[in-house]
Amino acid sequence: MNTSPFGSRDEAAASALPDFADVLRRYGGAPPQAPVTAVPAGAAGLPLDAGFSTRATTILAFKFRDGVLVAGDRRATAGNLVVYDRADKVLEIDRYSLMAIAGVPATAWEMARMLEHSFQFYRRSQLQEMSMEGKVRALSRLLRENLGFAMQGVGVVVPLFAAYDEAAALPRLYFYDVMGAQFEVTDFAASGSGSPSVRAVLQYANAYGPHPLGKMDEEEAVLLALRALDTAAQNDTATGGVDRHGRIYPVVKLVSSRGIDTLPETILAKAYQRDLQSLPKNTLILTETAAG
Amino acid sequence: MMEEPYRWVEAVQARREYIEMQLAGGSPIAAVSCTDGVLFVTVSREQRKLFEVYDRIAMGAIGHPGDIERLRMSAIEVASAEGFNRSVQDVSLRRLAAYSLSPLLKKAFEEIYGPPFLARMLFVELGRNGAPDLLLQLDYDGAFRGNAGGGAVPGEPFAVLSGKTHSARQMEEYLRAKPLAGLTAQEVLPTAVEAWAVGHLALNAEPGAALPDAESVAAHREEQLQGGTLEAVLLDRNAPAHAAFRPLSLKGALKSGNPLVTPKKDSYSGSK
Repeated sequence: MNTSPFGSRDEAAASALPDFADVLRRYGGAPPQAPVTAVPAGAAGLPLDAGFSTRATTILAFKFRDGVLVAGDRRATAGNLVVYDRADKVLEIDRYSLMAIAGVPATAWEMARMLEHSFQFYRRSQLQEMSMEGKVRALSRLLRENLGFAMQGVGVVVPLFAAYDEAAALPRLYFYDVMGAQFEVTDFAASGSGSPSVRAVLQYANAYGPHPLGKMDEEEAVLLALRALDTAAQNDTATGGVDRHGRIYPVVKLVSSRGIDTLPETILAKAYQRDLQSLPKNTLILTETAAG
Repeated sequence: MMEEPYRWVEAVQARREYIEMQLAGGSPIAAVSCTDGVLFVTVSREQRKLFEVYDRIAMGAIGHPGDIERLRMSAIEVASAEGFNRSVQDVSLRRLAAYSLSPLLKKAFEEIYGPPFLARMLFVELGRNGAPDLLLQLDYDGAFRGNAGGGAVPGEPFAVLSGKTHSARQMEEYLRAKPLAGLTAQEVLPTAVEAWAVGHLALNAEPGAALPDAESVAAHREEQLQGGTLEAVLLDRNAPAHAAFRPLSLKGALKSGNPLVTPKKDSYSGSK
């Protein structure tokens, strides 16, 4: 085709401003894409309801005094079936940013991997860190590229993205819709099947609690997150609660100027324990939890 | 010309002389294994010469900036694609050099109608789980030798790169005579910088000359540091997964007692 030893013009353009997706297209391994057409309900082929594909459920994030807290339960479901009770829905992308996922894990984990690798590729090839704006847009683009699958009902992902913006010295929190629009959040965001409960809890705490979410210290914030997830687990079968025997606790991560901290199980176990002791023991919910 | 093998050999030989001449002025690079990782040192005038390639792999190069850039990008692309498609554990310097970069360099070098790469590279890979580090030199014709065996200096905890062969030999001779085992990056740094000075002095000396004495090495080092920038990178054994590549801030680090400092907010050292 082009016999010039200097390569084609396309090659020159690609090497000047390489993008990790372009690299994958050249070396193989680019994520598959589906045409953007909806499958009509009841059509032969793929069923539209959630019954056959694994879904990860409830995630939440809110800003507190030191940064952003991001938490997720551990359950993945397919219809009425609990597929997995140790799913990790809060995924670290790099030292200062993470993504929490609700939706189809197959797509979401691949998106997280794609983001992680593209940010690193950018840093290594361009000798500078990608800007906050660039990182936020990168996830947006992945969602838009996934639109075909989303419309066929097989790859819907509705993520949250939290990061510490080093340039502005501010914590940032965004949520996305299925088509990839990003919305920056001032207080809190939740996604997944248990999100109505979580939203109600966070809204209540923010508006009527002792102080707004943004003023909470780390301990208060962690307690609120655990209570919100607990409430969601009570109201939504697809949200997993705490399994003390299996020592399965929600995943809680804090994003701040220090980077990302993952709270160890022991801290979460203690927080639950303290919470139980500080409340009256005669309510149905609490006795059940305590027995568990 | 292909029907006349003799002329092809002649052309390749001429091209070899041309490239050697182009590389002859290149500022040397020294890499030394130490307890906390691999220390990479050079003195640069304008462009950076030390780069991150992948999680545990870094490179230094001398030659034409444009060619270095193409090879650097190629190495990063191959490593990143492999790391994404398989896993980070599957990216290895041995495979990167032997199956990807070496054939590319050899092809460009021997296709005498096209341009060769004017570049000579030194790659370093941190050993996993206590395995020795791999230090590998890769030349413009695709030839490579590493310290892991099969090369000229198996098992040695250092590798060097220079514009001229006798300069590289002198640097190796100098480092071979130094006790390097069990030292930290901090302790190895002065030796590595001296090795650089030995190599740089040799660029203007006759091949076969004896090693310069310590005083002239120190004087040359001081003189060169006035005009250039001491560039040093620690490929950190103890850093979290993606942050092994750590450019060092060397203000005062050469004076004893001043610790090596990694710059807190370096534009390219961040991430995990």
